[in-house]
Amino acid sequence: MKVGVPRALLYYRYGRFWEEFLTGLGAEVVVSRRTDKVLLQNGLGHVSSEVCLPIKIMAGHLEQLAGQVDVIFLPRLLWLEDKLYACPKMIGIVDIARMMFDGRVPLVAPKIRGSLWLPHFLAGMELCHDPVRVVRALARARRFLPAHDRVPDFPAGEKRVALIGHFYNLEDDFISRPMVDTFTEHGYRICTKDELPGSVLRSRQGFARKIRWVYERELYNAFRFLVDKVTGVCVIVSMGCGPDSLVAEFMREEAQQQDVPFLQLVIDEHSGTAGIVTRVEAFLELAERRRAKAFEIADCRLAGRGKRPDPSARE
Amino acid sequence: MKASFPNLGYDTYALKTFIEDLGAEVILAPPNSRRTIELGAMHSPELICMPYKITLGNMLEALELGADTLFMAAGARKCRFGYYHYLHERALKSLGKECRFIPITQYSPLEFVFKVMPDIFGVSPVRVVRAVAKMLTKSRLTQEFRQYLNRKRAIDFDGAESVKPKALAVIERAHTLRQIESARGEVRRLFNLNGTEPQIRLGLVGEIYFMIEQFASQEIEKELGKMGAEVVFERSLYRHIRHLLFSDPAFVRSERLAHRYLEESPGGEAIRTVGEAVYFQQQGLDGIVHIFPFTCMPENIALEALQKLSEETGIPVLSLSFDEHTSRTGLLTRLEAFVDLVKRRKLGRRLHRN
Repeated sequence: MKVGVPRALLYYRYGRFWEEFLTGLGAEVVVSRRTDKVLLQNGLGHVSSEVCLPIKIMAGHLEQLAGQVDVIFLPRLLWLEDKLYACPKMIGIVDIARMMFDGRVPLVAPKIRGSLWLPHFLAGMELCHDPVRVVRALARARRFLPAHDRVPDFPAGEKRVALIGHFYNLEDDFISRPMVDTFTEHGYRICTKDELPGSVLRSRQGFARKIRWVYERELYNAFRFLVDKVTGVCVIVSMGCGPDSLVAEFMREEAQQQDVPFLQLVIDEHSGTAGIVTRVEAFLELAERRRAKAFEIADCRLAGRGKRPDPSARE
Repeated sequence: MKASFPNLGYDTYALKTFIEDLGAEVILAPPNSRRTIELGAMHSPELICMPYKITLGNMLEALELGADTLFMAAGARKCRFGYYHYLHERALKSLGKECRFIPITQYSPLEFVFKVMPDIFGVSPVRVVRAVAKMLTKSRLTQEFRQYLNRKRAIDFDGAESVKPKALAVIERAHTLRQIESARGEVRRLFNLNGTEPQIRLGLVGEIYFMIEQFASQEIEKELGKMGAEVVFERSLYRHIRHLLFSDPAFVRSERLAHRYLEESPGGEAIRTVGEAVYFQQQGLDGIVHIFPFTCMPENIALEALQKLSEETGIPVLSLSFDEHTSRTGLLTRLEAFVDLVKRRKLGRRLHRN
């Protein structure tokens, strides 16, 4: 049996787990191709124009899989531990997919409420009817669940920028390529939330406790953790993303208070690469200038005079 | 205490009675205007949805009039509405406005009656229960008023508009439960409908703020009435509060009917929007108008379901999203075209049958 997994949204977090799990069940896994322009264009026709870019991309991936597979595996994330909800569109995408296919392609959509295991077990039973095999497949796939428990190093003197955005935006090359490339070209190390340990991301301190969206809480915690370790913060928001429109506002304010350069990039299917590159470069220039100025002030204070220190002696 | 709260269409009166019953003075925010929304939008994040902007504008205008305590509803975790009050509070603080800001969370009626309200106003829970009962009766009155008004508009638009201020005055005057009861009869008599049927009937579904606050949707009920269509709706403050306190049969039914399209609630009122649309279709209404704020997350999911409903049953559906830049002319053109289409469809069907 051919089981299709769309390479979008949750795939970027649980993809390897799912692939291993489905292979363990004896299914042939077909993952949709990487996002490209054509795929996105196909997706646009299936959803309203107001939803966010990742959902449009998801529709494209579903469309691409439709003809090739017997069944599509599309888990529905309702909430994770601590009753942290997924965003409405992520919950609704399964219904959109169901209406899109209209019974042409059956969906296997485990409903994840808190724990991953029971829904995946039931979904596995739907596909292979052998409980022992399902349990075995799950046990084998388990090690592919994303788990970071080590805090990355932040050596001094390194140029760093925090790229705060949902994993399904950052890890989709089609969306994040222009920003990532520009930052790397300028010699910046990119820090994202996905390299931080779970203990940091799940922290309930401060405003994070009040955020009831699972991935927004992670974003906010990552921002809090990274903000004093980087030269600048770049937040990537999809146009029409409800949770981001709120949480980015809180981040902006905090960044301003801490005097860290802050850039909010709003992306949609029309955002051109050139525009994004220009904005990112302008932002980097500003951040560097501000950093240089901060050094100057510090040096002046050290010297105890208003005299400008020799720029070559800096650092 | 000079209390104020954001305007909520005709139900503003019901909320006003409620707070007055608890012994506070109410300063109503000025009626929503261009200024309200501009004021709100100026101090809002750019990508936030429209109800936030209007309510913030209301609060700022109420503070200008001397209010010192602001009430704001809060709730619904999956939808942005649940986070409005954090932003509101910060926006007011950063503007240097001195006031007490009280978010009222939904979904815990017992706590509301026995803890929250007695603490704020220093009254006994019995008084709160009575005030809630009165608010419910009054919001039922405004709901009936809206139903009569919408029907009357479709039949005799000028007549309806001339009766409207009189009826509103009657509603505003009614203070005790008995007065509210007699006001119900009076409002019905004023509209004098006598069972006349309008030419076409359209179901209005959508996001709750847009359903209640007429200004937000640019008075879509009035415009449709002018074109000779009666607007039938189910969402109202009365039903909403009743559903929070006990359970509203209409809402339960909506949730059941929506299941064919949405298996899980994506939050907000999407599931009710879809359920009501299915119900309206089953009731033989001629079309469905769906209104929601631009980038509203749950309603965008509902939109897909409504498209599917339209595809399957052939009922015309018009989805309209609003923000502060929505042009009135563009809206009217779309409404006119839609009403025209619905009328022609109905007439054509009748001809066919004859």
